[in-house]
Amino acid sequence: MAEQSIAEELRFRNSEPASVGLELELQLVRRLDGDLARDAGELLARLEARKLPGAVKPEITESMIELNSSVHERYATLRQELELMRDAVVKEAQMLNLRVSGGGSHPFHNWVERRVVQTERFRTLWERYGYLAKQFTVFGQHVHIGCRNADEAVFLVHMMTRYVPHFIALSAASPFSQGEDTAFMSSRLNAVNAFPLAGHMPFVQDWDEFITYYRKMRGFGIVHSMKDFYWDIRPKPEYGTIEIRVFDTPLTVGRAALLAAYAQALVAYHIAERPHEPLRAVYLVNNFNRFEAARYGYQGDLVEPYEARTKKIGEDILDTITRVTPHAAGFEAADALGELAENVRRGYTDAAWLRERYKASGSLADVAREAAQRWAAQA
Amino acid sequence: MTELSFLPAWPPALSQPVLFGALLAVALLAGEAAKRYASLPRITGFALAGIVLGPQVTGLLGHEVLAAARVLVDLSIGLIVFELGYRCDLKWLRRNPWLPVTALGESAFAFFAIYGTLLFLEFRPLLAAAAAAIGTATSPAVVMLLVHELRAEGQVTERMLLFTTVNCVFAYIVLTLLLPFLHLEHAVSWPAALLHPVYLLVGSVLAGLVACAATLVLARWLGKREDRQFILQVAVIVLTVGVARALDLSVMVTLVVFGMLARNIDRTHLLMPLRLGYGGQLFFLILFVLTGASLEFGAFAASGLAVAGFIVARFVGKAAALVLLGRASGLRTGLAGLLAVALLPMSGLAVVMVQDTIGLYPAFGRELASIVMAAVAVLALLGPIATQFALRAAGEAEPGERGG
Repeated sequence: MAEQSIAEELRFRNSEPASVGLELELQLVRRLDGDLARDAGELLARLEARKLPGAVKPEITESMIELNSSVHERYATLRQELELMRDAVVKEAQMLNLRVSGGGSHPFHNWVERRVVQTERFRTLWERYGYLAKQFTVFGQHVHIGCRNADEAVFLVHMMTRYVPHFIALSAASPFSQGEDTAFMSSRLNAVNAFPLAGHMPFVQDWDEFITYYRKMRGFGIVHSMKDFYWDIRPKPEYGTIEIRVFDTPLTVGRAALLAAYAQALVAYHIAERPHEPLRAVYLVNNFNRFEAARYGYQGDLVEPYEARTKKIGEDILDTITRVTPHAAGFEAADALGELAENVRRGYTDAAWLRERYKASGSLADVAREAAQRWAAQA
Repeated sequence: MTELSFLPAWPPALSQPVLFGALLAVALLAGEAAKRYASLPRITGFALAGIVLGPQVTGLLGHEVLAAARVLVDLSIGLIVFELGYRCDLKWLRRNPWLPVTALGESAFAFFAIYGTLLFLEFRPLLAAAAAAIGTATSPAVVMLLVHELRAEGQVTERMLLFTTVNCVFAYIVLTLLLPFLHLEHAVSWPAALLHPVYLLVGSVLAGLVACAATLVLARWLGKREDRQFILQVAVIVLTVGVARALDLSVMVTLVVFGMLARNIDRTHLLMPLRLGYGGQLFFLILFVLTGASLEFGAFAASGLAVAGFIVARFVGKAAALVLLGRASGLRTGLAGLLAVALLPMSGLAVVMVQDTIGLYPAFGRELASIVMAAVAVLALLGPIATQFALRAAGEAEPGERGG
């Protein structure tokens, strides 16, 4: 019985290579004072009545909602759909006197005040993880990339782990937490790290080996489903994708689409050229690189595991973009990657923008409001 | 004897601080007891303590003390309605035009329901209209205190606060517009009769505008620092309450206008929201005890039917408007019903409006009091229970919080 359910759970649905889908966790912000609101239920009820191309779902606390895009091959259609969904969400939120915002963390909300959505799954998480569940009121972007088969998914998880610091540095948008400047570009990742099943997939060579590992973990009673792994990148058999989960939610849907295009191009490059084979050393340097990226962004050091040398993360991103841009032609995202590279050259990150706004106004309530205005702006 | 002259005369002359402190302590204990032993909202306990201390029962708080304490009542109402005004986001009203329509409908339906009922019970039209005007208003203090205590947040809460602002201002304007008729009944000349409401309304709005302008100028100079801005805002509020009183303007309208403008014309977001915290509780407590002491139950015997009609018509009017119009403004029908329940409380503001009318025309005022005050007495005690129930049922109260 259990055996059958594991087989069913891990049955990998093959999908179009390098197709892409997004999940975006968003903040609901009160107009009164910029603090997090608690009206997710009402907003979701209103959005249900509208025909949207993707889906909008509840998240663990009543201050968050999650947008899911549908599956896209091309950058332009993904971006269009995200803009459409953004406009719908912003419009409905206005009827309820709410703002919606991107960003990896709310700058000053007090986690004690968060309320856990009363569904069975979220209640179980609250009972198991206690305050970690409420402190997990952070906002991430998950990028799904389609894989032709399960073995390719395992291979791509190992390949993409090399680029985790890129994803972190490019998306960083959580410099403030609980009313303080954390000194990190992405403080959100520190909230993720506290969970016992955070980290990365073990160094398995193919899907069969992964199934053996998963059976063992189930046998130990440590996990009950694939959902229990809070890995940075995990295979998602029921979608036929790998899911990259280290991105902060950016401040605009435009940037969300750019980040997705970058991940898509990286995957296309690794499938087409297969420049590397999985390497255990990737996981030796991973935690160090990850910290550097979260703390310093583009300025952080990155230990290159294949060549065993150190370079700046920003420099490594620019080199990588140059390398993968030819593979972005298939989904018409070469210009998008150019835009991303230009951002890196200028040192732009959402985290830097948020810090700059704080410097200008001296009030985190203003930062929260301006971030929400930026999210809502049609650009 | 002379060597003991350092001892005070007996009994010692007790001053205002003794009164203030004693009231706070008694209210605190009564509120806590109501919550612990009867699961009632603490407000109900405060009001009960006031009734026991007031002229109706023990007379420890006599009429003179109540008159002297009126400044505390005004101050409390001032702080509360300022926050109420500040929470009123005009942009929301513009984006969701059904919202102001529903709010005005709620006030108008309640007014006409009460007015019609009282006419049916053969009250004079002027008296019926004045009573209906006062009955339109929800107690700002009760809804505000419960929002703080239950840490309530959500669509019912937001609309409850907004509609309370609108129905309080509506009540005051209607009552003020009735003044010319009252004056004429008392043989005052036409121009004077017409000038009075104009003075009250225009004066109160202007006073609020000046207070807001002054606050914004000073806030710009102080910068975005919450501690400084807190003192600034409290200072200007207290000052404005005093000025409004001195000029015989409406404290409520002045402070609502002040709060509303502070929120809505502050385009560069100079002001930080005023958070009264525990300090605010002191004023709430005093307000409810003094309101309790001012309640009158005598009228029940005389006009029990009118009081019952008043209360029922008021609720039916509010509920009908909310159920009919609420959906268009984006409120589900179930929540519209809960909102009507949440808007039930009456208290200090109604008492103040009756007292002001008595101040102008004692005979008419007392007639008015005999209908309104009994209804206030009922709704001051039952209203908080209704509001607490509605906010809990709507799922907008903090689940862990058992207070209220």
